[in-house]
Amino acid sequence: MQWASKNAQAAYPGRIRIHPDGQDMEPNWLFAKRPVSEVRPGDHAWLAYSGPEERDRVIGTFVAGALRSEEKVVYVTDEPAERLPGLGPRTRLDLCALTERRQLRVISHEHACLDARGRFDPDRMLRVWEREVAEAFDQGFRAVRLTTDHSWLLEAHGAAADLHQMLGCEHQVGDAVSPSTMAMAICQVDRHACAPDRLAALRDTHEVLVEVDPEFDDGVLRITRTFEPHGLRIEGELDAARHGVFAQELAQVSRPGRRVHLDLSWLGFIDLGGLHLLAEHAAERTTAEALVLDNLQTDVKNVIEMVGWHRLPGLARGRDRAPGTEGVF
Amino acid sequence: MALEHRAFLYGGTEEFLAVAVPFLRAGMEAGQAAVAVVRQPNFDALRDVLAPYAEQIDFFDSAEFYLHPVRTLKLYQELVNEKRPRRVYALAEPVWEGHQPRETLEWARYESLINEVFKDSDARALCPYDRRSLDPAILDFAQRTHPVLTDGRIDLENPRYVTPPVFGAGCDVVRRFDRRPPDAEYLAIDGEDLHRLRLFVSERAIAHGLSDQTVQNLVTAANEVAANALQHGIPPMGVWVWRDGPELVCEIGDHGYWRPHPLTGFIPPESALVRGFGLWTVRLLVDLMELRAGWDGTFVRLHVSG
Repeated sequence: MQWASKNAQAAYPGRIRIHPDGQDMEPNWLFAKRPVSEVRPGDHAWLAYSGPEERDRVIGTFVAGALRSEEKVVYVTDEPAERLPGLGPRTRLDLCALTERRQLRVISHEHACLDARGRFDPDRMLRVWEREVAEAFDQGFRAVRLTTDHSWLLEAHGAAADLHQMLGCEHQVGDAVSPSTMAMAICQVDRHACAPDRLAALRDTHEVLVEVDPEFDDGVLRITRTFEPHGLRIEGELDAARHGVFAQELAQVSRPGRRVHLDLSWLGFIDLGGLHLLAEHAAERTTAEALVLDNLQTDVKNVIEMVGWHRLPGLARGRDRAPGTEGVF
Repeated sequence: MALEHRAFLYGGTEEFLAVAVPFLRAGMEAGQAAVAVVRQPNFDALRDVLAPYAEQIDFFDSAEFYLHPVRTLKLYQELVNEKRPRRVYALAEPVWEGHQPRETLEWARYESLINEVFKDSDARALCPYDRRSLDPAILDFAQRTHPVLTDGRIDLENPRYVTPPVFGAGCDVVRRFDRRPPDAEYLAIDGEDLHRLRLFVSERAIAHGLSDQTVQNLVTAANEVAANALQHGIPPMGVWVWRDGPELVCEIGDHGYWRPHPLTGFIPPESALVRGFGLWTVRLLVDLMELRAGWDGTFVRLHVSG
């Protein structure tokens, strides 16, 4: 099945993830991790969210971004439109008008993916999505953004959920979306809804891992919110020209009684002023609110070890991520 | 109790042992922590004589312990902290051979800094100097960096001793830089963003064949010096990089006049929050950092190899 594809190009092949040490950090290195605003036609993306905050920020951006431009949204859910992420009153979108001109399609499970006996019917969902995409093409929309949350399937049936059926469904969605120049999809799952191995198996049917848009990105430093654990991911190089924005973001995520984790797996450089800044921030916090440095890279770790951890009071050494868990944990 | 820092000039192994052995033995008998950092061949001789106490003494070969003055000072500090509440009795004999004059100067400064860094500790340091083989200039340094001289029996207050700030200032005043070679590569520092500077330095460091860690250390150090110049210096400013045999030299210059206190950046700071942390870390990261300020501006030269 191919949807509204004007040519057979494979859209956006995954970036190869090579750890800056030169080693593959993840065995599944073909994933492209993409901020939600950079999801584009042909992407079959995966979001294993940690909670409502993360889900709402990703899906809210995905949905509202489409509706503010000439793109269509197809959301399969039993929630009413006004309660969907990105569509609350604060977004000031005219949901009635959007629904009327079929730019916003909120379709219930019953009408999208259940058979006559109320069981999950992947073929039906594919047909519905295909129909919606074709219609969008005729209506002149530039693109179609599809999304649904699969958690109910996993939660309703627990360990008995038919993983093979879901994997088959995901493969079909992937086959349909990937060559498309119009359609893009985000499959959502509550990462607590099933066991990690099943989650990983589902994730592996997607080429793109979607995440929140970065808080800051100037091509040298990128700062992205993380939700589980709570904190920030710092990528690139942190130096004096960027201390201000970093301190600001750090203050944003610093909440009473809560540890802040900094994921440094992609931080290639931190200047001594940056270490000073971290120590200064940590000094104002209690042990329960410590600043935890996770996934330290060799280069940065060497500098810290040379200086000595004891010269950075309040900074705690965190864990190193187990390989293969990206997009799952 | 205060630090005891004595120099002792010996001629030959026999004289060496006659003073070193009773010193360490006194430490052990008092239940304190005896540490011997000694050069060959005295190292072997001392171990033989003190073989019955081998378990109670920490022995280090000077050739492995005295590799980098700033790191060695840090090492000693860690040692003193680790042995607490016991008092450290350190027999401490630096290596003086095989250095360039600028390196010898830093080792002399290191001896002087001992007086400052450990002034509030109760450590006892006895520093042997081989008067037969060492250059007279080094023996002269020893006299200016040790408040007490001893022959093993009598301690003499040393009239030639000068305090660490005075000695350090003296080291800085005599500093001369060799001319930069004509093929030194230059990058102007303009604007606040040091990303290009890091790229410039790391590319050349990699091309020179330095290890990953040395490259990162140099980049971190150069970035710090440049950030400091941006904050306090006067433009124009820039960075030069050139090869000097096995060494790579990186110099950051501006047109300000920066003359920090002679101890700034030499005393291991308690934490990253203390003033001087940046400068101390720069010295820790590279083989040698030299600072020269004059009519033509302020220049910081970083040397690395390996």
